[in-house]
Amino acid sequence: MASGFHAALKIAKKDILSQVRKKFEIFSMLLFALIAGLAFSFALPSALVEDLGGEAAIGAALIWVIVFFTGMFGFAPIFLAESESGTLRGLSVAPIPAWSVYIGKVIYGFVLMSLVEIFIIPVIQVLFGFTMFGEEPLLVVATLIIGTLDLAAVGSMASALTMPSESKATIFPLVYFPTATSGLILLIEITRVMATGTVVVIAAGLTVSLLFVALLAHLVAMITLSAGVFSYALSP
Amino acid sequence: MSHLSSEAIETTKLTRRYGYRVALKNVDIKFPVNGIHGLFGANGAGKTTLMRIISTLLRPHGGKIRVLGYDPIEESIEVCERIGIVGDKDLLYGELSGYENLEFYAGLYGLSKEILNVNSTKLTEIFGVKSWLHEPVKILSTGLRKRFDIVRSLLHEPELLLLDEPFSGLDRDTTEVFKEYLGEIRKSRTVILTTHNLQLGVELCDDYVTLRKGEVLSSGPASEFDGVL
Repeated sequence: MASGFHAALKIAKKDILSQVRKKFEIFSMLLFALIAGLAFSFALPSALVEDLGGEAAIGAALIWVIVFFTGMFGFAPIFLAESESGTLRGLSVAPIPAWSVYIGKVIYGFVLMSLVEIFIIPVIQVLFGFTMFGEEPLLVVATLIIGTLDLAAVGSMASALTMPSESKATIFPLVYFPTATSGLILLIEITRVMATGTVVVIAAGLTVSLLFVALLAHLVAMITLSAGVFSYALSP
Repeated sequence: MSHLSSEAIETTKLTRRYGYRVALKNVDIKFPVNGIHGLFGANGAGKTTLMRIISTLLRPHGGKIRVLGYDPIEESIEVCERIGIVGDKDLLYGELSGYENLEFYAGLYGLSKEILNVNSTKLTEIFGVKSWLHEPVKILSTGLRKRFDIVRSLLHEPELLLLDEPFSGLDRDTTEVFKEYLGEIRKSRTVILTTHNLQLGVELCDDYVTLRKGEVLSSGPASEFDGVL
């Protein structure tokens, strides 16, 4: 029997290899992210951007909005493909804990969305003329990693929960949006402060560090809760 | 080794429903360790439901079941380690090659690279897919995919092999090879076989149970099967 984490890595590796060979799926996600970035840059006149806090504030928020919506393409089929091809049965009867299947999918979702971010962040920074890696680059990188993991954790669970539904396309955003929103708000706030370089006190006693801890807590809560209930999503 | 049990499968008043429809009703079955045991019945008789319960994919709604002496609900990992399944649909990933599929499943079963290579070489030779080992599975014919799926199910040397319509999609030569292989392993492994090809079932099996509408209709040595479903 493989250990749970070892099995999770095997599942993630298998999904990444499959995705790389399909090519067109990741390409369509990158294309969507690019089009969304370009559309926002045309749609927001500079006067409005100034009113809303400047290029850096808008750009930082847009990065996460685009990643969030691109995630709908990326996360929704995470379990659907396995369910439709019947291979989910192979994972269900393998001698591994159910949570390892979930963690494997989270790692895969993380890698997938990281590719999107590596592509779209420089594009948005150029379009809106700012850099988010200014004063605290390590905290920005940590926020990107934790935030992407958080979205992958929520997206994977939403995909698993909506798998048996006949109207997955409708149900998935209904599950994904409310569960991901709290993490998304934290991500936008942290990234906006990092990008604008404004004072790190957002409200009385509410610092970026505290927001980062809240984001970390959100990730831990999502993964613990999802991994705990995941076996019910696997067994009909 | 099985867990202190001379029965590979033992069910007592096993019941499973789908909504209001009863798929299995108070099913009592005993299949001894080793040998090939047939599970016969018309469509909707409950064969696949029983196979799914044995393989830990479904939970029963009533009664008891032991698989190789283990409880498939409470000890599902112990059961999964010891079973191999072949169904009507293969469990292979189309984008990966045959070898990559075998390597992936070997990883889930905790097999070492050495065991993977020894077993995959032996089994792919037996089932005639060695020359296709590094081709993407998506380009293979249904029959070749089925052969790879059989290799996948045998890779970890399961004590109990669950075969749900395993011969569908196989040509005559491969069917003969598979029959011969089952004949070789029957003394040391347990095989549960469901098939609509009753002639083949009777020829292969040592004993049988027939299900009708979720209940046991008849059972006994396969040579005494009367063909009534």
